[in-house]
Amino acid sequence: MASYHGNTHSERAKMEQIITEFFAKSLHIILESRCPYVSSRNYSGEQVLSSLSPSSSSSSSSSFRPRDKWFNLALRDCPAALENIDFWRQSNLEPMIVDVILMQRPIDWDPLNFSPKTGFVSGKERHYYGSDNEEFGCEGRNERIIERWVLQYESKKNGGSTGSKKRSNCTSSHALYKKSILLLRSLYATVRLLPAYKLFRDLTSSAHIRMYNLAHRVLSFVEPFTRREEADMQRFVFTPVDASCGRLCLSVLYRSSVVDMGSDPSTPLSPQFIPEYVGSPMAEPLKRFPSGFVSQSSPSSSPFGRRHSWSYDLYRASQPSANPSPSPSPTYSDSHASLAKQRCRRLPPPSLPHHLPDETLIAYMKTPSYDEYWPSPVFSPSPSPSPPTYVPNSHTSKALLRCESAPVSIPVTKLSSMPSLPNKQLMPPSPPLKATLLTAAENIAHLLSFSKDKPHQISGARPSVNSSPSKSFSSRLSFQDDYDDGPFVVEDDEILYPSSRSGLFELPGHPNEPGGTLFVKRSQDAAVGALVRMLKKAPPLHQDLQGSTLQTPTNSIKDTTEISEEPRVQQSSASNIVSSGLGLVTSKTTANALEELHGYRKMKDSFLKLK
Amino acid sequence: MNCEICQLKELDVEHFEIHEVLRCKILHTILFHRALGLVRPKDIDLELFEITYVQCGDVELERKVDEKIDQFLDRVDKHPNKKNQICLSFYEVKNKQPTWFTNKVERLYWEQWYINLNVAPHQKGHSGKSTSSKIVVDPEAEERTVRRAALEASLRDVLFQIIRFVNEKKDHIPPIPNLEGVSFPYEITISSSSDSAFGMEMFKRMLQTGHPTMLS
Repeated sequence: MASYHGNTHSERAKMEQIITEFFAKSLHIILESRCPYVSSRNYSGEQVLSSLSPSSSSSSSSSFRPRDKWFNLALRDCPAALENIDFWRQSNLEPMIVDVILMQRPIDWDPLNFSPKTGFVSGKERHYYGSDNEEFGCEGRNERIIERWVLQYESKKNGGSTGSKKRSNCTSSHALYKKSILLLRSLYATVRLLPAYKLFRDLTSSAHIRMYNLAHRVLSFVEPFTRREEADMQRFVFTPVDASCGRLCLSVLYRSSVVDMGSDPSTPLSPQFIPEYVGSPMAEPLKRFPSGFVSQSSPSSSPFGRRHSWSYDLYRASQPSANPSPSPSPTYSDSHASLAKQRCRRLPPPSLPHHLPDETLIAYMKTPSYDEYWPSPVFSPSPSPSPPTYVPNSHTSKALLRCESAPVSIPVTKLSSMPSLPNKQLMPPSPPLKATLLTAAENIAHLLSFSKDKPHQISGARPSVNSSPSKSFSSRLSFQDDYDDGPFVVEDDEILYPSSRSGLFELPGHPNEPGGTLFVKRSQDAAVGALVRMLKKAPPLHQDLQGSTLQTPTNSIKDTTEISEEPRVQQSSASNIVSSGLGLVTSKTTANALEELHGYRKMKDSFLKLK
Repeated sequence: MNCEICQLKELDVEHFEIHEVLRCKILHTILFHRALGLVRPKDIDLELFEITYVQCGDVELERKVDEKIDQFLDRVDKHPNKKNQICLSFYEVKNKQPTWFTNKVERLYWEQWYINLNVAPHQKGHSGKSTSSKIVVDPEAEERTVRRAALEASLRDVLFQIIRFVNEKKDHIPPIPNLEGVSFPYEITISSSSDSAFGMEMFKRMLQTGHPTMLS
């Protein structure tokens, strides 16, 4: 009796063990053909491939492990199954539901720029979900359950063993075991006939990047499929295996159209050359970089290496009037404008201004389409940003810049402070060059008239001129460098106003007065001499005109130099100032000056005749 | 003990497909379910179809099966216009009690599998070299592709039929005598049908259930 109960107890224990191992073996069979990822634990891909290849022999010399002997079926290692099985051994034979999930990447997924995106989860990460995890969105847009294996042990209510069933219990475990072997054989064959196995093989055997992956989850309870979902699936039910206290039931719901879902043009792992990558100048040459990049990626602030390719092209391409590329940030452009100013002020010595007109002229000639406010980047002395930092609605368009800086406005009020300047001599808002030319002519005239009217003031002016060399120097520099105070920032007394030409011939005294005549003669000669010197020192404005400008006044210069040697020194500073202004004289103003020179010459002759 | 007989669905195959179909059907489905000893299964991919079948890994078994398949091919060549059949039988050896009538070893068949193949006439020039990369005319290639797909589907159905049969019929299986390879003795027989002869053979087998005659 005791032995009977002992046998019964052992028999029940055997059956329970058989059932437990059956669950483990079933899970192993399912996951080893559905879980494509390879774990480093106790597992090697070579084992998988070798076992999958036809050349592998099932009767290899490799020893069978204890778990292989269960149900006489030695399987490949499957870490996912092992991890789940360890937990399931403690589950007290709860139903086991294994969902095989097809994870699909988005359609617009780019393998070149591959990076794991959200929504694509590898099987390793989601290989197990506890029994309480029911919030998994299995019907998400990228996930679809393609198989659902349900394994459960249905216990009978009357599971007690009696004497009459002793033999059946004894044989039950044996029969149960044998039938379990058959069932597992069928399971092993079935998992390889279902459509999902093809996906598994494609994932494990191919080196291509697939647009899908297989994941799985092992649960105890799941929400059943809806009728609509279940209508798309087919069911295969294995014949239950009867046990003494219940029966083992195994079934599968699977989608027959899995192959269509998973079939997609695989992307080979071959490198591709992208000719126009993001950020390439070829892709978007006129691309405006956001303010976040500012000083680093902005073409106007690009480093030396790229500035020539970016900034200059952009400079030439962009039109200040027609929607130019603005500075990356206003602060940046302003800062660079101020920096440009500072750099310009630090420019060299007064000798430079003689070269300045050439450069500025070159600038203007090179950029004829622009207003004359934009200097050419050719002679940019500093790595300051190129001009495309044009800021509309500012007065910068009115300024002439030497450096590659933001244009600076010209305060007109400073020019208007010259009392002797008539209104028309005020620099017009637009081209300061024209204003410069007019001013130069006017200065000449003024100088002549001044020398005529106030001869003593010449000497007086001399100290005024010489007493403030720094002022004139600074003003000259300012003219050279900033142009913000106008082309001429000189003392009123030192400016000649050629426009008041008639005033030049208005002698204060009677022309017949000898003293006055001599004085007049000397003043006129001085003015002429100054004019001549001015013209002599003036650089050639144009190649075509250069010869003519040099030739025509030569004779007159020779004549006048003999007469006007005395006031040469007095007029030197003024002439320098004027010559600097004449640096901006165009051919048209030179012609006017020449005409005036001729006029003076005639006057001189007339005076000599009168003598 | 009853003999469970399973008539598998007839398949229309071409000559070059016989070998793979038979190997798949015999090895994958039947013998694997009857090799109840300790095995390390081996997955084999068919070349002509996207089907993976399982071998139990018994080298001797594979050799015997290949021999029978070759015999079947010879029979097909000899009788091209006949239906051909392969029978896989499992039996158990009864107690060898010699009688004065016979000393034959009595075999008790407990399971028989009939594999029916309708072999298309072998056309020379067609790809009996199916694996070759011949360029065929488009209509023929398309027709062959359609036929191949239909055959694959039928073959898959046959495999599921075997699995269902194995699952449904378990009680007739005798105790496992051998734990190595195929656990039960078996035999593979080949027969080609003529209209009358084939029917008579089937009638004989039905009458002699449990005592099938061995046909050469």
